[in-house]
Amino acid sequence: MLRLQLTLAARYLLGRKLRTALTTLAIVFGTMVIFGMGMLLPTMLAAFQANVLAAAGQVDVTVTQKSGEAFTRSALSKVRAVPGVRVVAGSLSRTVNIPSGYYGRTQLGALTLTGIDVDAAQALHSYAVTSGRFLRASDESVTVITANLAEMLSLHLGDKLHLPTADGDITLKIVGLLPARSQPGNEEVLVTLSEAQKLLALPNRINTIEANLNTTDQAQRDVIEGAIQSSLGTDYTLGGLSGGSELLAGLQTGQAAFSLFGFLALFMGGFIIFNTFRTIIAERRHDIGMLRAIGAGRRTIVGLILVEGLIQGVVGTAIGMALGYLMGAGILLMMGSLYRNFVHLNIGAPVIEPQLFVQTIVLGVGVTLLAGLLPALSASRVSPLEALRPAAVEHTTQRFTRGNIAGAGLLVLALLGLVSHNARMAALGGLLFLIGLVLVAPVLVQPIATFFSRLLTLLVAREGTGELAQSNVVRQPGRAAVTASATMVGLAIVVAMGGMVWSLTGGFLGILQKSLGSDYLLMPPAVSLWGSNVGAKPELANRLRATPGVAVVSTLRYAAATANGKSVALLGIDPVNYTKVASLAFQAGDPQTALADLSRGRALIINGVFAAQTGLHPGDSVHLSTPTGQQLYQVVAVGGDYLNAKIQTAYISQANLQRDFHKSEDIFLQLNLAPNANAATVEPRLKAILKDYPQFKLVSGQNYFEENKQIFNSTFMVMYVLLGVLAAPSLIALLNTLAIGVIERTREIGMLRAIGATRRQVRRIVMTESLLLAAIGTAFGLLAGLYLGYVMILGLSTAGYPVDYVFPAGGLVAAVAIGLLLGVVAALFPARQAARMNIVRALRYE
Amino acid sequence: MALIQAEELTRVYGAGETAVTALDHASLGVEAREFVAVMGPSGCGKSTLLYLLGGLDRPSAGRVMIDGISIGELTDDALTRLRRQKIGFVFQSFNLIPMLDAVDNAALPLTLDGVAAEKARTRATEWLQKVGLGNRLTSRPDQLSGGQQQRVAVARALVAEPRLVLADEPTGNLDTRSSDEIAGLLRQVADDWGRAVVMVTHDAHIASYADRILFLRDGVIVDELRLDAHNRANAELVAERLRMV
Repeated sequence: MLRLQLTLAARYLLGRKLRTALTTLAIVFGTMVIFGMGMLLPTMLAAFQANVLAAAGQVDVTVTQKSGEAFTRSALSKVRAVPGVRVVAGSLSRTVNIPSGYYGRTQLGALTLTGIDVDAAQALHSYAVTSGRFLRASDESVTVITANLAEMLSLHLGDKLHLPTADGDITLKIVGLLPARSQPGNEEVLVTLSEAQKLLALPNRINTIEANLNTTDQAQRDVIEGAIQSSLGTDYTLGGLSGGSELLAGLQTGQAAFSLFGFLALFMGGFIIFNTFRTIIAERRHDIGMLRAIGAGRRTIVGLILVEGLIQGVVGTAIGMALGYLMGAGILLMMGSLYRNFVHLNIGAPVIEPQLFVQTIVLGVGVTLLAGLLPALSASRVSPLEALRPAAVEHTTQRFTRGNIAGAGLLVLALLGLVSHNARMAALGGLLFLIGLVLVAPVLVQPIATFFSRLLTLLVAREGTGELAQSNVVRQPGRAAVTASATMVGLAIVVAMGGMVWSLTGGFLGILQKSLGSDYLLMPPAVSLWGSNVGAKPELANRLRATPGVAVVSTLRYAAATANGKSVALLGIDPVNYTKVASLAFQAGDPQTALADLSRGRALIINGVFAAQTGLHPGDSVHLSTPTGQQLYQVVAVGGDYLNAKIQTAYISQANLQRDFHKSEDIFLQLNLAPNANAATVEPRLKAILKDYPQFKLVSGQNYFEENKQIFNSTFMVMYVLLGVLAAPSLIALLNTLAIGVIERTREIGMLRAIGATRRQVRRIVMTESLLLAAIGTAFGLLAGLYLGYVMILGLSTAGYPVDYVFPAGGLVAAVAIGLLLGVVAALFPARQAARMNIVRALRYE
Repeated sequence: MALIQAEELTRVYGAGETAVTALDHASLGVEAREFVAVMGPSGCGKSTLLYLLGGLDRPSAGRVMIDGISIGELTDDALTRLRRQKIGFVFQSFNLIPMLDAVDNAALPLTLDGVAAEKARTRATEWLQKVGLGNRLTSRPDQLSGGQQQRVAVARALVAEPRLVLADEPTGNLDTRSSDEIAGLLRQVADDWGRAVVMVTHDAHIASYADRILFLRDGVIVDELRLDAHNRANAELVAERLRMV
């Protein structure tokens, strides 16, 4: 039985190669996006763990402070005192971002500077020095590096390694070489603990404790780890460094958005398959009736259709996964260089998790089968008599069905959700709105088609071709509705994203000008991932202040902390100088007094993202975990600057940062020139000072603004390309429906040609039909897109992003243009096919 | 000069060993206002002949003159225009557009010719009244009986005032009563409205409405029967001749 079904399915599929290809392509697109995008996060995660966490090596337990900041050695003795701990060693390590060009032509994003307690560390790790010697506790200004790093920098034993630090450029003598690392991640520069403490200006501090246990029994190990945790308290975490978690959160958000794209693409694919199968059933009523007449059961018929779906689902999914892999690998390759340059993350080979395979296959094949199920069930209801009956004149008038009424109800609910101004209700409404539109679409096809065909008749489709095209569209309102729905989803995304992009650009460029409007900026290599930047001691700011022509210098300092269980980047500002060069964009609290209030006691200003995550308001108090214990801070305002708008951030005074976090390193500097100063003479002086601090880049505020605007634009360019990829399923849906329509109406086209329609006129009918379908889809898409766009902005502003809703006029224009283009492109092939038809053969077509 | 002049028409389908000669050196002439029926068993080439006369297909050899124009030399567009203006078609399966009402269906050739919609509808209405459908103007095909649908098709064939109407098995999908009515209507097309009619049929009774019957076998015109007022509609006579073919 299955053999018969397989044979028949294969024959049918091959009999209509073009349609099979188009339908399969619909699956290919969905699975491609899901699979390709699904690769990104695990790969990034792997890179992340390799870079940030790999340093842990072969030790049993790694202890870090939750905030990622350094702590005193007292924690070390606490761990050592826990029964079952064999050896412990404290170390201080930090990612050092390397400015580009620092090592000549060698591109090296970052190094990890690690200070180790030489004796204790050797009890934990085996350092197999291949040449030279290992570190000694009494060493000063010497280092041990891997042979690999030495080779990259063309350095040998005894040479000096340059390194940017807070004290300016320093050199370390290479006394030993280690074998090349097997793990990916930053190359390590090993120095003694005291050396690292001096270079990083963290006397007597460590930021990692490593320990080995005296048992390999998992149950006992869990007990010991529990004991370590309880002896240290909740400020410490066992396992790995928590630093950089904000990057991870960003990646996860991006991944979710991309997955959503994939699901939408697959959703459109489902529509296309549903349409195709419905047509297949209509075409084969005779065959199916005949099979029923000679004794095929209903289940055999359902099986036959589903097997056909299964073949397409499996083939489409397989091709989609292969293409998805290429797409994912390509994106990773592009992102690789971007990430190396901006956040210094080395991305390794693509990582594909087994569940991604399962997920993609289940979705790809599942959607195909699901979309084929309804038509298959309707096929099983074909009576054997159909085989004998002549094909009836098909003409369906659309009546109101329960589905239409339900759809209208959903639309009303969606609008209620919108006026509720509640992000969650509105988001739910967005979904209801889409489903509602799909459900009411069939009844709207007729009026919308009539309206647009009048328009098109005036413009292009004269000589009755417009009316004929319109009659073709409304002949199968269900099919037209499904096609338009697929187009709708694609265009809705364009409009929604367009709206978001417009609003975001406006919002971000606004605070960019506000918070970074100073004459000059001294930028560290990794903006916004402050923790890995090497800053400068206050001496740099002082030297700048002393430079003739410089009026005011303001600096930012950084520390990591946790508040209410959320990690937060703390930025130390100098309330007096900061207001002279820049300002925060405030969302709550008194902008006049907020910055001055930072100097009074322990006060902080939190940014929108952090406020949304913690639910804190001005006037609330919050405990910050600091290296010196929990400290109570009072929230005075909600506001933020440009660089940190996307990251949970809070601002405190530099005095408090020094007292509670022992941080006095400037990681970002802004300066204004005196009113009468000449930039051309001051700039060389500034550059001369910065020779000692190569980790900073001198940028003029104006240039930075322009540069960012361009980055914005190019980022959005990438997004538009992605949107184009998503428009492809819409195109396939249109193309498929048109191609099916042309095949179905073969005899009618033959008749038209016989009674005097020229090829041009036939072509124009198909073209107009395509434009009508596209127009209906575009009209729906605009509605749904406006709704979704509003929901997105509402969601973003609820999440603390500084955005106001801007009506996406650009998105609308783009969507209309794309809709028209889709209509024209989709019609090219079917129109040609219709026009080229052999009249006699067409008239005899059954 | 005859309205249609076909000389040595040959149509071969396929090539090499599988080549099939559907029409073999057929020559005929049709006068204006003449009603000619083409008869023969299935596969004898009668439809092929009709398609060649209507310019829907091109002959492998020989030529067709319509109203003094040799259609073999026309471009596809010129031929299409000629069909639109000089020839009307009636098909076995009516081939009406299900979404258009009777008037719009009948008006199609004028609409395609760029005639203003109002004028086209007025003229289509006139023809629908002449073929007896004045009371079903706004009905759609699915609301009409087979006979009525074929009347719409006849109105459509006549609306552009062609000199020639070609009918391919026009009664093939109809019951006897409707068949008679349609055959009578085609007779009227020739007699009252002065068009030449060429009709392909395998029904002797229907063929007996014609002025002249051509018998085809294996692509060759093998016989011809003239019917005058005196033996018109004598189906037995026609059937007998058909048996001899």
